[in-house]
Amino acid sequence: MADPQDVLLRMQEDLKRARQKPVKERRWIMVIDLRKCVGCSACTIACVAENKLPPGVVYRPVLDEEFGNYPNVTRRFIPRPCMQCDRPPCTPVCPVYATYKNAEGVVVVDYEQCIGCRYCITACPYAARTFDFGGFYARGTAEKAGLILGQSKAAVYEQAANFEYSVQWARRGEESPVGNVRKCHFCLHRVQGGMLPECVTTCIGRATYFGDAWDPDALVSHLVGLPNVLRLKEELGTEPRVYYLL
Amino acid sequence: MTLKRVLYIVSILATVVGLYGIFLRLTTGHQNAAYGSYVVWGLWVAMYLFFVGITAGAVVLASLDYVLHLPLFRGTGRLSLVLALITLGAGLFHIWLDLGHLERIWKVYLQGNPFSVMAQIVFGYTLLGLLILVALYLTLRKPEGMILKWLLILAIPLALFLSGGVGALLGVQAARLFWHVGLFPAQFPVFSLASGIAVLLMVLGFFWDRRDPRLPQMLLVLGISSVVLQVVKLYFLWADYSQSLYGGIPHNVQAVQEVLFGPYWWAFWFGQILIGSLIPIVVLSQPRLARHPLWAGWMGAAILLGLAIARANIVFPALTVPELAALAAAFSDPRLEYRYFPSLMEWAVSVGITGAAGLIFLLAESWLPLVQVE
Repeated sequence: MADPQDVLLRMQEDLKRARQKPVKERRWIMVIDLRKCVGCSACTIACVAENKLPPGVVYRPVLDEEFGNYPNVTRRFIPRPCMQCDRPPCTPVCPVYATYKNAEGVVVVDYEQCIGCRYCITACPYAARTFDFGGFYARGTAEKAGLILGQSKAAVYEQAANFEYSVQWARRGEESPVGNVRKCHFCLHRVQGGMLPECVTTCIGRATYFGDAWDPDALVSHLVGLPNVLRLKEELGTEPRVYYLL
Repeated sequence: MTLKRVLYIVSILATVVGLYGIFLRLTTGHQNAAYGSYVVWGLWVAMYLFFVGITAGAVVLASLDYVLHLPLFRGTGRLSLVLALITLGAGLFHIWLDLGHLERIWKVYLQGNPFSVMAQIVFGYTLLGLLILVALYLTLRKPEGMILKWLLILAIPLALFLSGGVGALLGVQAARLFWHVGLFPAQFPVFSLASGIAVLLMVLGFFWDRRDPRLPQMLLVLGISSVVLQVVKLYFLWADYSQSLYGGIPHNVQAVQEVLFGPYWWAFWFGQILIGSLIPIVVLSQPRLARHPLWAGWMGAAILLGLAIARANIVFPALTVPELAALAAAFSDPRLEYRYFPSLMEWAVSVGITGAAGLIFLLAESWLPLVQVE
């Protein structure tokens, strides 16, 4: 008989339990069920909104692939957050220790330390890092014309601070995070507040799961034990923490 | 109008263009750059590789005078060191402007990660720059002293190590098969030597005192060395590309095909292979032409052009192949594309830095005793 409890409620309980453990005893992982993903990109947009990502910066695009020959055609959608690798190729190359795995095993970027050399971007086999070029969506739009809101008012939203790494980052001029490398961080700021990552709560198909893999009772622990689990580019030895169910 | 006067005018104009580019870079950051988050390194990184390659080669060539004391090259040491210093400055200025936060460069020195190849290279080039400066000072004060000789004996392996290190900077990246070539750190010092010889060939051909009876012989020796190094370079290219194509790993094949048949195929075939390698090989193989200062000078320039394109053809193709299929269409934004052509600002900065390097050399050549004919 199917579990009547919604997976989001289950994962929130799992999260609450995990947060009671010491930080080093948690192992955050993400599981994405490709059979449930419908390719709506709601997670992508939710992530953009949550982290107030500027043009050209995306943490979780959804890859859309088409297979087969007519009439046997099918599509596959692969959401691609940062893999939070246990052996990340991106961190040792950093010349100033600006990117590293934090105590919870999430690969983070210290915006105040990053010099913007972008070496880590070239090192990532998943293209999970993007550079903040300092652009704004509202830039170049009309200031005020008729019923249009106007650039100055429309820009207020994207100039407001985000809460990445539990710090308020407002993008102004050349100040960080402008000129920095940016990436998915499993919404650490939300997790620290007892909330699931934005992409998980937004997923309309309940295709994305998040939790502590070292909690045997957590939903994600059950899922990664299934035989149809796969990780991207495992052959590179990066030990990704994002698992896909095929 | 003499060639020198033409070069002065071109250098000044290029520097003015560069000032506009640098003004744009400093006032608008990276917004006017054409590189993005996928093709993340552009023209400036390629030019950095090009210029520091010349630096390493020029340092090695200074040893012909100050370490080996070869009579044929007596008097060329200071010229080589000045060229090394100018090109090092041009290379480092390029890469500095490429940073997201220019003001944080000090962090590499005071909070650097010694296990990062990039940090190692920054430390190394700083040390090399200091060694060149001290060596230059000594060439003015005590050119016959043992300190200068030992300083250069120290600088040569450092220069070659750094040159190899630049190859390793790319080569250590297992995610990019086009770069992840074990031979990269071995190839780069060869490229550097070829660059150093080419720049010396050009400068001797254009600026050295024509009354010096050694000049034709100097040009011939440098010309033959250039031919040998160009053949070695072509062999490396053949070995690298043929293995990649034969191996058939899609990522690698795509990158090689990008070079050979991609949108900028003409730059590879005409710029890198024809002008940068084949024509210089044919011309410099003929002693009569190789001894002629203008022929030798222009062939040096042609080899340098080929090497600059070669550096671009090392950096860009690896970045134009998506790490994951379908990534190119996953999110639409000009910064998330696998195509690249330098923007006006990037061209302006590179043209300007190259022009300024040329101008500094012309001024140094006019005011300092660089050309030492006995």
